[in-house]
Amino acid sequence: MPFHKYPPKIWEALKLKQGIYARLPKHYLKSLEPKEPTPVHWKPLGVTYRANPKTGLKERVQDVPIPIYYPPESQDGLWGGEGWVSGYRYANNDKMSNRLKKTWKPQLFKRELYSEILDHKFTITVTPRTLNLIDAAFGFDFYILKTPKEDLNSKLGLDLKRAMLLRLARRNTELYPGDPVKREKVYDKYKQFEIPEEEAEWVGLSLEEAVEKQRQLEHKEPEPLLKVYVDRLVEELQMKKMLEPHVTEKK
Amino acid sequence: MNMWSFSRRVLQHLLSQPAVRSFSLTPVQNTVVVERWWHVPLSKVGSPPRLNPRRHRIYKMVSDTKHDPSGKMELILTQTVPKLGGRGETVLVKKSIGRNKLLPQGLAVYPSPENKKIFAEELRLLREGKPEERIQTRTGLQTVEFLKTLKLTINKAASDEFQLTKEFVCRQFAKQRRIVVPPHALTLPFEPITELGDYWCEVTVNGLDTVRIPFSLVPYEDKSASYQRQLKAKRMQEEAADISEDAGKEDSVSDAAVEAEACKDSVSPASAGSSSESTDTTAPPSQKPENN
Repeated sequence: MPFHKYPPKIWEALKLKQGIYARLPKHYLKSLEPKEPTPVHWKPLGVTYRANPKTGLKERVQDVPIPIYYPPESQDGLWGGEGWVSGYRYANNDKMSNRLKKTWKPQLFKRELYSEILDHKFTITVTPRTLNLIDAAFGFDFYILKTPKEDLNSKLGLDLKRAMLLRLARRNTELYPGDPVKREKVYDKYKQFEIPEEEAEWVGLSLEEAVEKQRQLEHKEPEPLLKVYVDRLVEELQMKKMLEPHVTEKK
Repeated sequence: MNMWSFSRRVLQHLLSQPAVRSFSLTPVQNTVVVERWWHVPLSKVGSPPRLNPRRHRIYKMVSDTKHDPSGKMELILTQTVPKLGGRGETVLVKKSIGRNKLLPQGLAVYPSPENKKIFAEELRLLREGKPEERIQTRTGLQTVEFLKTLKLTINKAASDEFQLTKEFVCRQFAKQRRIVVPPHALTLPFEPITELGDYWCEVTVNGLDTVRIPFSLVPYEDKSASYQRQLKAKRMQEEAADISEDAGKEDSVSDAAVEAEACKDSVSPASAGSSSESTDTTAPPSQKPENN
């Protein structure tokens, strides 16, 4: 068994400490920190101690999250935090009975959702929970902008969020270019979510996309050496020229 | 990604209060909620619970609200929608109607605090603003339409020095038609009304639209039960006399004709009485409330 300086398990995490990863913007690196999403498919107790329902004595309890599988399709729609619960159930709901494989999947349908900021209709795969959340947030744009990344849990949602934030940041040129009245109205409505354009550009990028973006930002065209040396020679000659008459005049 | 595991735990502790995530804690609907059949043994503080690979993946479905009756949603109307309401009204509609019809067609908006404020302000202006800027409400228009078809018959009071007052007419509106007309919304002709006859009164709805309503003043009529009973007895007597007269006149007519005549007689008093009273005000009063 070879010994490493760092265990292989943390290599992925250490990667972020060096190279181009370390040069990524701070706010983006902060957004990468994993957070626990709101429980959707199980009910958390929400307390550390409670009275035992049988004996009435105080006891410590803990929430044990149920692992949920988010299939790749969930990234192309807005599932509102829902996913597949795969496991087993008991036949006839009887603990003495057989154990049967079971996967609970959410109900999905397609809906046309209109975004006021982007002024466009999107046909998106959603669940009833998403629609309820949109209603609770008073609108599609509010839902996308208010919901944190871990609850949105979808690449599409994050892309929409980035597009909306960019529209708000570049409101003078992109937000309803032909209708200043409507622009003012929409901007006033979503003013609270506005962030600087430099930050908005990084919202919701995957790590690969962010690295590519950083690479392109840092990229410089290689300069031919001929040009470099010619420039240097010209400079030297100029220095000489400037120095020489100076000396001759004095002498 | 283990680097973040510690910070994640710290964050989890920070965010464990439900109040922090108040937005996403809206009632869960149409979502399957499961729990474990087997109890997970308590782990030490800070260490993850140890799950049995076989037992702790067996779940029991607690609820699936997909099959529950779908609730209703609250919306504010921006236009008059038939059978629902007028602009600015807050209505409870089925979610399907709200999402598929009202919101996409722009007939309604979400009841967000800003929208509520806007529409409350608008309604307040409608009620208190200048008369030129105000618009009649939907129910106001309906009331006007109803008032246009109205006709009132007012019985004179028993007193000798009778004069029709606003309060009297208002009471008649409430009594006969169940319409609440406040005295300040009612306008009577300038001359005091004491005589029988046909008159006009004007009713202003919401201080905007004025409707002219004709009414006729008819003589006093005793509506007490004892007087009604007397009247009824009198009528029965008259009928009996009529029938006997008819029978005496036409003895020679065939049986069929007599029968037909009798039928007519038996039907006629009620209809004749009612029709005559509506036109002829001097006839003995009876069954007036039923007509109305």
